[in-house]
Amino acid sequence: MKKGWKIRRAVSLCLLSLVLAAAPLGVAQADKLPYDCYNYDYREYIHYTPAAYEPAGTISGKALTYDGEPLGAFVTPQDLCQAPDGRIYIADTGNHRVVVLDNAMKRVEKVITTFDNNGTEDAFRQPTGVFVSESGQLYIADSQNHRVVVLNEDGSLARIIENPVSESLEEGYVFVPLKLAVDYADRVYVIAQNMFEGIMVFETNGQFAGFFGTIDVELSLWEKFWARIATKEERAKQQLFIPTEFTGIDIDPEGFVYASNIDASGVQGVRRLNPRGEDIIKKGENGRVGGDLWIDGTTEFAGPSQFIDVVYRGQGIYSCLDRKRGRIFTYDHEGNLLYIFGGLGTQLGTFSLPVAVEDIGGRLVVLDATRGEIASFQVTEYGRLINEAVSLRYEGDETLAVDLWERVLELDENNELANTGIGKAYLTAGDYKLAMKYLKMGMNRDYYSVAWRRYRNELLTANAGWFLTAAAVLIAVAVIVKQRKKKKGGAANG
Amino acid sequence: MGKYFSKGKWQYLRYTLTHPMDGYYWIRHQELGSVPVAILLVVVFAFCFSSNRLLASFVVNDIDPRSVDSLYELIGILAAYLLLCVSNWSVTCLMDGEGRLKDIAIAIGYATVPISLSLVLGTVVSQFIAADEEALYFMILAVGIAYGVLMMLIGIMQVHNYTLGKTLITLFITLVALLIILFLLLLLGNLLGMVYNFFHSIYTELIFRV
Repeated sequence: MKKGWKIRRAVSLCLLSLVLAAAPLGVAQADKLPYDCYNYDYREYIHYTPAAYEPAGTISGKALTYDGEPLGAFVTPQDLCQAPDGRIYIADTGNHRVVVLDNAMKRVEKVITTFDNNGTEDAFRQPTGVFVSESGQLYIADSQNHRVVVLNEDGSLARIIENPVSESLEEGYVFVPLKLAVDYADRVYVIAQNMFEGIMVFETNGQFAGFFGTIDVELSLWEKFWARIATKEERAKQQLFIPTEFTGIDIDPEGFVYASNIDASGVQGVRRLNPRGEDIIKKGENGRVGGDLWIDGTTEFAGPSQFIDVVYRGQGIYSCLDRKRGRIFTYDHEGNLLYIFGGLGTQLGTFSLPVAVEDIGGRLVVLDATRGEIASFQVTEYGRLINEAVSLRYEGDETLAVDLWERVLELDENNELANTGIGKAYLTAGDYKLAMKYLKMGMNRDYYSVAWRRYRNELLTANAGWFLTAAAVLIAVAVIVKQRKKKKGGAANG
Repeated sequence: MGKYFSKGKWQYLRYTLTHPMDGYYWIRHQELGSVPVAILLVVVFAFCFSSNRLLASFVVNDIDPRSVDSLYELIGILAAYLLLCVSNWSVTCLMDGEGRLKDIAIAIGYATVPISLSLVLGTVVSQFIAADEEALYFMILAVGIAYGVLMMLIGIMQVHNYTLGKTLITLFITLVALLIILFLLLLLGNLLGMVYNFFHSIYTELIFRV
């Protein structure tokens, strides 16, 4: 008896050690990452998740060579973007140049420092934004030269956008373009310094067309009250109510503009602007697309997230980069928070001053201005499953996503999107009881209600005979009791 | 015990629920009510309140079950009941109210019955409804609460022999008195804490010296 127990213990020990040895090969180890991976559930509690993305190295200018010469470190780079042909353009602001890397970011393809401006050689001064249009033209926000330079693919000058003229612009307005994006019709959307009226739109010919996506100032009732009773002198001394500026911009293939802004209340840090300049973003269950929800406190670390850049990643998914805590928030087209990762720090995979984010063939890269580095992140199994499942839903094939969502649940059993996804699939398949179970776990009241209504109808039709019989019996009993009571009462009275 | 929970008291509770004007009047003048029954009804109300928060169906219930602590809610509701009775009594004493503390306790305690009933009924009904039938659930609750508030108003009016206007005024002053009592309680607690700290520090001082 005792011997058998010993052997069993030995076997189980062996098995345990085997399991322990095999574990690191499986899912990414969250405790080895330099940042927290978490999400907010329906009740806005934090729940920790497996990592959706994990660090995959950095690219710094020091390690690269161009024409046999070392490229030199990037100095306060401000923007990067991927061209349709896959190459990566970096606005190396402090070095007054644009660096072009190949798709793998291993080799320098080109360094643009000068261009031929109608016969004279012209250079950049602090280019802060780059964008490559669908036609392959390179747009550079040449901030301190107060212009946007448009170069053809061969490096020749296509046109220069400068000195916007309009009645709505103040006399002596100095145009300082910071970030830009170009749509399929070659309309240019420019975020300019101190331009609170919105994004500046330029037509294909370089004509200033007007403002776009103005952020309205929202005064609270209390502020309105004080503004009303204050005298003119007092009002002059008060802080001005000016809308926030946009910080980063991206554009989707249909021409919808995604623009990030810093919202002091942390409710909306990103906008999706239709061609008329109206914000049509969906804000999800909790009505917020502003990053972190737990922002209370008085420490340096508290306060709303500050979105500095946004990247549209296809299938309705977009990621926002938070400057405040160095986190990347990824949302789907309905405004659901998919996953959060990243952080400030000095380790691999953390940032000092993140300024730009871009999706490069499924990898996410973040440009760090202080370190002059590009941090690269590769997707994990968890992130890939979510991305694919959300893409399927976006395309309307939600039922195909069930397998993916089930695997997400294996990694993160409290994932509400996964539970909702599976629940919806059961709903379509007609298994209302299971659908209710999953939709309840996914905290999706609307679809739960649909499932429950159908389940109820099913029950009612299946058991109609019983219900009707029961009702008839009840009525009969009630009538008899009433009559007997009447008789009794009559007898007592009589 | 039998005196407080006799069959007659329960029957009279039923009469009061359907005829609050008459019912409360005779509670004051003929000892037809029962304070223990009233307290029991408040406990039942606390129980119904917590169970509604916990058990109402997912379709109508947005309450985080982790935030529901039925014992805590019971104590809270009993404390609020006591405060309300005492503050109303202390105000009406000075304003020619005829009611005694026990009449006020009965008036408020009996008035919780329709609310408790609607909470139970609502919880049961909520199990059978889907979205956009929620109106039924909220209507049940609203009717119950409205009836309860009305009963409380009539009860206080009748036991003190007030007019409606005077009842409303005293209720408002009751609210103010309630806040004052809370403030005094806080103050008292603070002071007692200071006294305790004083003796405690003497004690520790002695321990260290000796």
